[in-house]
Amino acid sequence: MGLASFDEVVAAHHPEIYRYLRRLTWRASGADDLVQETFLRAYRAWPTLSADANVRAWLFAIATNLARNHFRSEARRRRAYVAAGEGSAGSEPAGPEEEHVLRETRELLDRVVAALPLKQRLAFTLRKVHDLEYDAIAESLECSPDSARAHVFQALKKIRVSLNGHALPMERTR
Amino acid sequence: MTPTPPSCRAIEADLVATATGEAAAGAARRVDEHARDCASCREELARYRAIDSLARGLRGDAPEAAELAASRAALQRRLADVRSRVLRYGIVPSPLGNILVARSEHGVTMVEYLGDATTLAASRLRELADVETVEDSAEIARLRDELLDFLAGRRRELGWRLDLRLAGSDFRRAVLEAARGIPYGAVTSYAALARRVGKPGAERAVAQALRWNPLPIVVPCHRIVGSSGKLTGYAGDKLGLKRQLLEVEGVRTTTAARDFRVARERMYVRAGDDRAYCLPTCGDLPSSSLANLTLIASRDVVAALGLEPCSDCRPDLHPLAG
Repeated sequence: MGLASFDEVVAAHHPEIYRYLRRLTWRASGADDLVQETFLRAYRAWPTLSADANVRAWLFAIATNLARNHFRSEARRRRAYVAAGEGSAGSEPAGPEEEHVLRETRELLDRVVAALPLKQRLAFTLRKVHDLEYDAIAESLECSPDSARAHVFQALKKIRVSLNGHALPMERTR
Repeated sequence: MTPTPPSCRAIEADLVATATGEAAAGAARRVDEHARDCASCREELARYRAIDSLARGLRGDAPEAAELAASRAALQRRLADVRSRVLRYGIVPSPLGNILVARSEHGVTMVEYLGDATTLAASRLRELADVETVEDSAEIARLRDELLDFLAGRRRELGWRLDLRLAGSDFRRAVLEAARGIPYGAVTSYAALARRVGKPGAERAVAQALRWNPLPIVVPCHRIVGSSGKLTGYAGDKLGLKRQLLEVEGVRTTTAARDFRVARERMYVRAGDDRAYCLPTCGDLPSSSLANLTLIASRDVVAALGLEPCSDCRPDLHPLAG
């Protein structure tokens, strides 16, 4: 694989990796460092990547690994949690009632997700926000696909409990 | 809170999976059947569906374009910085021992004889500041194949793009570029090369520049010898390798008391930039010193250079024994 093709990797995946790390850190500055580190690591390891590798899953794995190290500092985790609350609080003008409720509930969800145990939070974000396959999530979290599935399940259960008593924008039951 | 009945607990995982669209067909059917008769599980199903749809809604909240562009620009700056420092290298086992070949994005940066050593630990690359090394055999594969072809005499040119950043100075760079112009199968002297870079008399400085040639073989400093025809030095103390390389190119050498010389009596001669070539015995040659002569191993090389036979000694009529 040539060096030129790494430019294509950046072009194709930077927006999504940025979005992922931005969501995890809740700060553009923190995300920037992690994004840069992710792609620099990828650049160095690029020659050893096999030609048929899933580049997207590989980048998510690098980013997740870096995020886990980043959050090893409990203080950072707390700051991100606080930022999740600040970042989403009443930043937009209130729209129609229904939209307002939806936005509030999403903000609540953001805070609940930010408070999840790290692995559950990562698994949940990778699965629900970025739609990664469980194999890829397992690679990111260095666990089995079954464990990855279990992390998402536990996350959903905790979210369910945390949102107890809040009105949810219900879909009609089939 | 009323305790959950066992049957509800048993399908909880399947219920969550069903609500979030991840259950197998059989599990989803069981959940649906159960939920038909169980109001609380029906409610659960609906809430999990709502949570799932809420979570999927997060997919749409992209950062602002300006924020994304700023992140991309910062990333490109750092990547450019790292890229300019990264050298990708491979170690090639060859008839001349292990040879390290390293390249940057701009071209081949280093060729280094490692002898028996097989790792970067033995390389000068380790001592260079501002360089990041990455082993990359795949990136080096083409260079390796061409190098081995060259060393086996199957290829006469290594037309590699070079990155002369390790040359050290403008003068050394000029020497390397001039040395690169010496054709395959030809031999000239340090003095002649000094003249070619516009520094007649600077043969010691030229020899010194070539002593630190970061790109032996591809910058063919092995084709440069003393004015007497003595092989003098090569890559520190690797005179044997110089001899091997010359022999690959058809340049014969003689040995007397550990003193290697080019076998001049078996080579054609070109004076300066003349369009003619001579036999080594030609009376028309200005002197016997190689200071202004180039020796040429074969008529193949003579033909490749487009030279005419000298009208006095007629090397075309009296070719040297092959």
